[in-house]
Amino acid sequence: MTSESFRPLTTLLHRRAASTLSTTTTNTLRSRIHFATRPNPTLPRRRIKVHPPPPGPPTKDPISVLTAAQIKALDPSGSRAELFSRNNPQAIRPGDIVYVRRKNGEPFSGVLLNIRRRGIDTSILLRDQLTKLGVEMWLKVYSPIIDSINLVQSKEKMARRAKLYYMRKLKHDFGPVRGIVSDWVRKSYAAKKGVDKAGQSAGQKGQKEQKAKKAKK
Amino acid sequence: MPPRISITPCLRRLWGNSCPFRLIQPPGPVNRCRSFTTTSPNTFGNRPKRISSSGSPELLEGSKAASLERKRLATRPGVLAVKKGMTAIFKPNGRRIACTVLQLERVQVTAVKTRQKHGYWAVQVGSGLRNPKNVTRPMLGHFEVAGTAPKKHLREFRVKDENGLMMPGTTFAADFFIEGQYVDVKANCKGHGFAGGMKRHGFSGQPASHGNSLNHRTMGSAGQSQGGGSRVLPGKRMPGRMGGHQVTRPHVQVMKIDKELGTILLFGPVPGPKGCTVAIQDTILGPPPVIPGAAATSSEPAVVTA
Repeated sequence: MTSESFRPLTTLLHRRAASTLSTTTTNTLRSRIHFATRPNPTLPRRRIKVHPPPPGPPTKDPISVLTAAQIKALDPSGSRAELFSRNNPQAIRPGDIVYVRRKNGEPFSGVLLNIRRRGIDTSILLRDQLTKLGVEMWLKVYSPIIDSINLVQSKEKMARRAKLYYMRKLKHDFGPVRGIVSDWVRKSYAAKKGVDKAGQSAGQKGQKEQKAKKAKK
Repeated sequence: MPPRISITPCLRRLWGNSCPFRLIQPPGPVNRCRSFTTTSPNTFGNRPKRISSSGSPELLEGSKAASLERKRLATRPGVLAVKKGMTAIFKPNGRRIACTVLQLERVQVTAVKTRQKHGYWAVQVGSGLRNPKNVTRPMLGHFEVAGTAPKKHLREFRVKDENGLMMPGTTFAADFFIEGQYVDVKANCKGHGFAGGMKRHGFSGQPASHGNSLNHRTMGSAGQSQGGGSRVLPGKRMPGRMGGHQVTRPHVQVMKIDKELGTILLFGPVPGPKGCTVAIQDTILGPPPVIPGAAATSSEPAVVTA
C-alpha cells in the first residue's frame, strides 16, 4: 500500500498509541518509516557487473572509405582522378580548354572555370560561347555517362585564381572555343587513325573518317 | 499539494477494528475488474480497465486489446544509427542519387516490453558508449540485467506482437535491413533557436526602403481590430523557437548496406545535423520486408542480421 511508505503524522500517533496500549512489539523509528535503506548497511554494497562493450565500427569516417570504393569502381584505371589531381603536373587546371564526350548527347567543350572537389561528386564548370550566348555547364567527373574528358589547350600562364568567375565579364570572356576544339578533334582523329571508336558521337570530320574506314574495308 | 495521509489504518489499530462508526473504503486504487481481466496491472499505474471484452462475443472497439490490434506497427524492432553525412550513388544509366550515410555504433537490445507487464510490445535498443563512472547506479543495474555495456542512447521500438521481440544483449549489424526495402526514419531536426517570422513561417517581411524604418523583417500586423475578435487569435503564427523536435521521414528506401563499415545508405536527406542519432525501423506504410534467410531471432547475445 502506498500509504504505508510515507506517514509522518501517523507514526507519531502510533508511538503514542504504543505507549497507551502497551503493545509487545517495540517498533524502532527505522523500521516504521520506510527509507530507501540497504538491508544491512554494515555490509559493502553489491558490486554491479559492467559488461564489456562490443567492438565499435572500424572507422569513424565511413564516407571517405565509401567514396574511395565508389571512385575505384567508377574509375578503375585512376585516369579520371589523375586528370584533376593536385599533384599531377599534366593535370587539367582552371583556364584550360576542355572537351567532354558523353555517352548520350552532344559533346561539350569550354574553358574550365572551376574544379569543385567533393569526393564522388567532384565536378567541373565549363564555359563556352555558342552564337554569342555564354553557356556554362557543370559536369560530374566520375559520372558513368561521361565517356572522356580531354585537354584541348592548356593556358600558357597559370591562372592566378582557382575559380575564374571574372571570365563572365565581357572584358575577360574567352569567347567561342569551337575553332580551337574542332582543330584539336581533327588532329586527334588523324593521330588515332585505325583505332576502332565504337559508340562515340563525334563531329562531322569524325563521321567522314569512319565512313572512309568502312569504304577501305 | 502534500501527500494524502490516511489515518484510518492507524485508527483501526487504536480501536482494534471495533470502530463505532463505519469507516470509509480504504484509499488507493481498487481493481474491480480483477475478476474479468487476464492481464496483470501494468507497470505505469493500476488503472482499471474501462472497457472489457470478456462479456461480449467480439473484441470491443474501445478496449485496449482492440486498440493494440488495429495499431499500425512494424513487425521487427528498429535500429539507432549516427548520421555521418551525405554522398551520392551513380547508377549505370547516369542517374545520380543523393544518399545519407548512417552508421551503426554498438547497437544492442537492452530491454524488452511485454503486453503482460507493460501493456504493449516493444524492444528497447541502446547505442553508443558511456563511461561507467558517469552512469547512475540504477542505470548500471539496468544494463547489467541486459548483459550490455552502458549505452549513451536508449530508445524503444514498438512492435506488433511477441514475434518482434529480441533477446537483451543481441547486437545489431548493418545487414539487419535489406537493400531496396523501405524504412521510416526518425530524428530530431536541426534546431534554429529563436527564429523570426520570416525564417519560421516564411513571412515576406516589409520593404527595404521607401521610408520603412526599423521594420524590415518584422511581423507587421498580428490580426484585425475589434471586428476580428479584439484579441490576437490563438495559434497566430509568430516568432519563436524553431526546430529541435522529432521529424519522421516515412517510406525511405535503403540504397546500400555495408556490413563491415556498419553503414546504411538511405535515399535522400535525413533530419538532423551530422552526428545526430537517428532511429530507423521498417516502414509501416507498406508490407514488411521479405527477409531472404530464415528468421534469425533471439538465440543468446548473437549478432542479428536480416
